Amino acid sequence: MWWQIQNPESEGRILVWAIVLGAFILVLGLIPVLHALPPRGRRAIIVVVTFFAGLFFATEFFTPVGPDGKNFLTDYIQPAQQMIQVISALALGLGTYGLIRLHLRNVVQRRPQWGYSVVLLLSFLVMAGFSIANTLSEQQLVEKTDFLERGFALLFDFTLVQLDAAMFSLIAFYIFSAAYRAFRIRSVEAGILMFTAMIVMIGIVPLGAYLSYQVLGLSPAPTPKDADWITVLVHNLALPKIADWVLIYLNAPVQRAIEFGVGIGGLAMAIRLWLSLERGVT
Amino acid sequence: MQTRPPTFWERMLAIDRRILYLLLFVDIVAFLLLPIRLRAAISPPVQKFYDEIEKLQPGDLVMISSNWSASTIAENQPQLEAVIRHLMRKKVRFTIISIEAQARDLSHRLAMRLTPEGDYEYGRDWAHFGFVPSLAIAIKGMVNNLPDTVQRDVRGNAVGTLPLLKGITSLRQYKMVIDVTPSGTLPIWISYAPKETVILYCPTSVMAAEAYTFLDSGQIKGMITGAKGSQEYEQLLGIVGLGTPFANAISFSHVLIILFIFLGNLALFMSRRQNRQEG
Amino acid sequence: MDLQQFLPLSAERFNVWIGVLCTLAIYSLLYRENPIYRFFEHLYIGLAAGYSLGPLGVDVLYRFWITPVWFQGYWLWAFLVPFGMYLYFIYSERYGWVSRIVIGALVGASAGLFFQEFASRYVVQLHSTLSRPLWLSSANPTNPEISWFSVLFSVLMNWVFILILVSVLTYFTFSYQQKGAVKGVATLGRWFLMIGLGAIFGNTVMARMALLIGRVYYLLSDWLMIRI
Repeated sequence: MWWQIQNPESEGRILVWAIVLGAFILVLGLIPVLHALPPRGRRAIIVVVTFFAGLFFATEFFTPVGPDGKNFLTDYIQPAQQMIQVISALALGLGTYGLIRLHLRNVVQRRPQWGYSVVLLLSFLVMAGFSIANTLSEQQLVEKTDFLERGFALLFDFTLVQLDAAMFSLIAFYIFSAAYRAFRIRSVEAGILMFTAMIVMIGIVPLGAYLSYQVLGLSPAPTPKDADWITVLVHNLALPKIADWVLIYLNAPVQRAIEFGVGIGGLAMAIRLWLSLERGVT
Repeated sequence: MQTRPPTFWERMLAIDRRILYLLLFVDIVAFLLLPIRLRAAISPPVQKFYDEIEKLQPGDLVMISSNWSASTIAENQPQLEAVIRHLMRKKVRFTIISIEAQARDLSHRLAMRLTPEGDYEYGRDWAHFGFVPSLAIAIKGMVNNLPDTVQRDVRGNAVGTLPLLKGITSLRQYKMVIDVTPSGTLPIWISYAPKETVILYCPTSVMAAEAYTFLDSGQIKGMITGAKGSQEYEQLLGIVGLGTPFANAISFSHVLIILFIFLGNLALFMSRRQNRQEG
Repeated sequence: MDLQQFLPLSAERFNVWIGVLCTLAIYSLLYRENPIYRFFEHLYIGLAAGYSLGPLGVDVLYRFWITPVWFQGYWLWAFLVPFGMYLYFIYSERYGWVSRIVIGALVGASAGLFFQEFASRYVVQLHSTLSRPLWLSSANPTNPEISWFSVLFSVLMNWVFILILVSVLTYFTFSYQQKGAVKGVATLGRWFLMIGLGAIFGNTVMARMALLIGRVYYLLSDWLMIRI
């Protein structure tokens, strides 16, 4: 088949390398050629790429499927998936590239506190090496040595995980401080928000159950099916039941209303982006 | 002009925030150490979650979407541990997939630690599909052709060669998807997974309130909310995991916060009243 | 507690002490900004950025690009990474616009996928809303296993659901000036919205407390070896 090189790992290896090198030269070499286009031409390329990328998925969804659950585009989802995964990975790498670029510049230009940038760059290099080696060793592509295993465990389990968890746990302190200093019940809305929050905060945790069932003596048993309305009411006065009722019957429609708003806005935005009607993107 | 010293309430309003931090820390240490064990009331979403997994039969296949990093380890780790233990108890096979880089190793290492408890063997009873950056298109691909979409697992095995996935060509053959996540991946599973696949949700508490609309519409069949949900779930399973001690400390930290919200408002009210009286 | 077991004299204990050092260094920020916190903050960012290259490079690039090209011979995939590299020209003042070609492809794909999301996510919820029984007759009151009070309660709650939904949607409608009865409904919607936000706030507080409790548990259980 013309789209597959035979024996790529042996006889075809040189051809593969040549094609990859050629692809890089051709695609990256196309940039000055594309740059020679007038601005309208550049915009046209972006608009066309955006449109066809969206057209594929929109057509695939709207086209009726046959008895096997497929239409003429369904089998192309897998290569499209592969393309998007690779491009998304490169997009994620862009953030890392920008970070390293910034801190390298700090070091080279000896900007204030450039020593911390050295720490960042060194830890980046060490961790990148261990992470790539560890992931390759899991796939049995490199040997999993004791040094690699212990080193990765130290860097990942006992340093990165602990730092990450500690960093995000700081928010608890700030929430507590903010709740004391800034949460002021000055209006009806603030009062409703705070009252609901308190019911939820106490009702959904075990303390709510303890206060209702052990302290107040309410029954934790399910409501009997043939109960009268007084029995039903008494059975549902417990804090956990009230909290559940607030979440299921009062909170759910609010969230659904927000969902509808977001959904309609999202559809409008999706169409605008697909057709490149949104300013500033193309 | 003689300036008066600050009143008690003014001093309360201007309290150093580091004292507040210390109070919170001491509260949490105290209620973790005190031998107080409060039983949780099982909430309907957790009961439904448990019941859905109880319906599974030995040999059924479940997809776990584990997308949490160490930043939410205290909420998501107890959930994933309890879920894996329940699935092993039911002899249900599972595969794990992650859309967050750190989640890949966290979930893989956690599963490797737990699966020996149930005599689960990698490749025969469970597998990890690794990290994929784009979930929506991965789900669409897995619905259409799972082996060609995933290609290889974290250990480099072609997924089609794993005994676990013998004869499995599509996500439609999975009975259930369990999404353990701190981010907005649930709507993606709801949107692109097959309609017949049951979806269960294990969010951090921040994401839980928004999910009640999906519970109401039946798009998800059950939910475990953070660490306190894990405690309820552990109670149903009859085990003591991380959720149990965490939920007790959470209870009393909430009491502290509510007390201090009232104290802050009272201090402001009293301080203003005193200022008005002084003219 | 045995001092020998507590001190970092073995590899396992040394690892735990490293974790505790990281945690306490981050918590030092709570006292005040200091160089130790800054050091560990930059260490954290460097480790996080470096770690991501493993999964990105091996789980994605090796699996979906290197293997098909170098080991399976599908040479057409060779053009994919150079195309993706256009993204990195975003930092170029002269050629920065080429990155928008790749961004356009990703944005277009997301937009095209949204139609399926709209149908599966929002239309189902609309159906769920519109199929709620609002009358006793449509709520099967003749089922002997369910008491009439439960049926009445569920019908009442359905009306409350619709009322809350409509009033919150009215609050968010800015296409016209809200006055009179519409303004009243919108105000009611704002109050109901506060209920939803209160529920979110309560859950958010719980989430953050849980994260802190996890760290404290680690300090007490793993480091100080206190049985909890």
